[in-house]
Amino acid sequence: MALLPQQTGQMIASVDCELMSMPKVAIIISGFAVLLLAVAIIVLQPTGPQTRPLLSFSAPFVFGHFNIPADNPLTAEGVKLGRRLFYDPLLSANNRVSCATCHLQQLAFTDGKAHSVGVSGIPLPFNSMSLANTLWGPQHFFWNGRAQSLEEQALMPIQDPNEMAQDMNELIDKLRADEVYVRLFGAAYGEISAKNIGRAIASFERTLISANSKYDQFLRGELKLNTQEERGRKLFMAHPDAKASLRGGNCIDCHSQFLTSGFNTQFDGFTNNGLEAEETLEPGLEALTGLAADRGKFKVPSLRNIALTAPYMHDGRFSSLEQVLDHYNGGIKLSSTLSPLIFEANNQQNDSTLSLNLNKEEKQALIAFLHTLTDNTFINDKRFSDPFSKQVQHNE
Amino acid sequence: MNKVWIAIFTVILILAGSAYMAFYYHQSGSVILEFHARVGDKSLEFGQPLYPNPGGKGRFSIRAFQVYLSDIHLVGSKQDYQVSDSYHLARFDNETRRYRIELSDVPYDEYSDVMISIGVDEEANSSLMPRGDLDPNGRMAWSWEVGYKFLLFEGGLEQENSRLPLVYHVGFSENLKKQRFNLPKTITPGSAPIHFDVDVLALFDSHQSIDMATLPSVKFDRNDASLLAENYANLLSLSVKESHNPVEN
Ligand code: HEC
Ligand code: HEC
Repeated sequence: MALLPQQTGQMIASVDCELMSMPKVAIIISGFAVLLLAVAIIVLQPTGPQTRPLLSFSAPFVFGHFNIPADNPLTAEGVKLGRRLFYDPLLSANNRVSCATCHLQQLAFTDGKAHSVGVSGIPLPFNSMSLANTLWGPQHFFWNGRAQSLEEQALMPIQDPNEMAQDMNELIDKLRADEVYVRLFGAAYGEISAKNIGRAIASFERTLISANSKYDQFLRGELKLNTQEERGRKLFMAHPDAKASLRGGNCIDCHSQFLTSGFNTQFDGFTNNGLEAEETLEPGLEALTGLAADRGKFKVPSLRNIALTAPYMHDGRFSSLEQVLDHYNGGIKLSSTLSPLIFEANNQQNDSTLSLNLNKEEKQALIAFLHTLTDNTFINDKRFSDPFSKQVQHNE
Repeated sequence: MNKVWIAIFTVILILAGSAYMAFYYHQSGSVILEFHARVGDKSLEFGQPLYPNPGGKGRFSIRAFQVYLSDIHLVGSKQDYQVSDSYHLARFDNETRRYRIELSDVPYDEYSDVMISIGVDEEANSSLMPRGDLDPNGRMAWSWEVGYKFLLFEGGLEQENSRLPLVYHVGFSENLKKQRFNLPKTITPGSAPIHFDVDVLALFDSHQSIDMATLPSVKFDRNDASLLAENYANLLSLSVKESHNPVEN
């Protein structure tokens, strides 16, 4: 059962009893004023294209609150346009690279490469990121958090010389010359502009919700995890406490329990998970904030569909989940910004090595749990697929 | 033309209505609570080993400090005002080292006491409802089988040539601490903010002084957790500044 998430809102207490004790005249006057105000708001509303709110949109209750920017509500028209833009190589200088070149649905919107390659042929410094569930988790995008919204982010790869190398004014001319885009932009936003390109792509990305993995089905009570997966789940969800005889993998210290992403508040979802020693620390979040305390901190990615998104980490340094687990279990490198939660996490009391000290079965159990995060519905969902492919066009 | 008249008419009516209420009735309004963090007699700074280990050697630094303040009540002469969904995640990693809660639409009364709990009540602690600042995918959540951390402190202890990570995650329903603050002067909605001091050092140096080298982390050990909870019961006090008089709690 997918419940529609509730929007954030402060509730007002004790208003009822206050109203009762108010003189009647005041109630009548203010009631009348409110009514008129409502009428005025409706009459005075600015006119734009007639759009329909996206109806098929739902997400599990356990994912929690999310925010859609007030100036870019999710509409069926915006999402449709965004999907086309996302898959259209027209958005690149040589008309051969689209967003989907580096974000393939079958790979949960990653590209399987350690370093993505775009128009220039020069490998990017970073590993492609999955685009599942971007509505939740840190609302700063890229490994180092340098984009502050999906709208802003979408315009960056288009213009990046190594990604799509597309001049923005030229792109707007290309789109204006295309009847289909004139119609789609007209219906969604009124006009073709850089801002509206960003809005449309962001809207499409917000619909990319992965919520039907084995783990989700377990959370909904539809199935049981097998013994190994359940053991892995417990390890994932526990910070080890040798004193309290609790074994754990401490993943939940950074990868939240349901989303498995970093935390949404401020930059809490950025941390240093021990990939490099002090001397070789890369800037990471420091590139954005300029703070030495942020050196080596990277975005904690969602682990949804992780079995499909190898290689791993911001530079694709690990090719398998086994290597990832070996990193957390003995491969941690010490630096001044290393998360104390990693530094301190150890399943063995009075042991000063930088390791979780998990045994082989525990590592395998964790990997088995990570495999329950694969969502076949998501990677085959027709709503997210390439609208240019013939097979899909039939369905539309 | 028509539209303009409707708008003007609306505004006049609203003004008339509110003038009526202002003159003939005590208004509801907002009450502001402001929490100012410090570490003993020092200011709160992040990432620097400035503070002596209360129960032992070395100095400690603070990387993160967050705490749930909840279930806020104002005790009035006619009524109790209970804030609904009152779960506030206080953090101080901003320039002013201040956390502010604005309670809007508080009904008119003369309020003499403020009640604040540190932690999360048992019912909410075992629920997945994202109420107030409670977020099951947040930094303060343990797994749903365990509930929320009420208070999170992370940092490091520097001793001679060694650095020890400090991790204090304190939760469990038994560690909810209800506090009552008797205001030196009653307040009404719209009065000046009520100021509180948040002394981070109280966590390690109040009920008991803690040697961070012997107790560098607290998580699931119930005794350790309640030891720190006894201490954080002294975290908040009414500020003396802004003409407030010190009050015994
Ligand atoms: C050449 C390959 C390439 C192309 C083309 C590309 N991306 Fe990416 N994308 C990446 C890489 C690599 C990263 C991580 C880069 C970084 O952190 O600097 C990334 C990161 C992102 C992120 C951040 C996700 C997060 O969780 O922070 C979003 C969103 C995104 N891309 C969307 C798009 C969109 C939309 C387009 C098309 C307009 C696009 N990408 C085109 C390779 C590409
Ligand atoms: C201290 C925080 C922290 C903890 C604890 C932690 N992670 Fe991570 N994890 C991160 C960060 C940060 C990254 C991205 C690092 C980078 O690329 O620079 C990451 C990346 C990953 C990746 C690669 C994701 C990708 O898309 O490339 C996997 C897989 C992963 N973590 C699994 C785990 C597992 C399993 C555990 C528990 C054993 C765990 N993590 C514990 C912070 C953490």
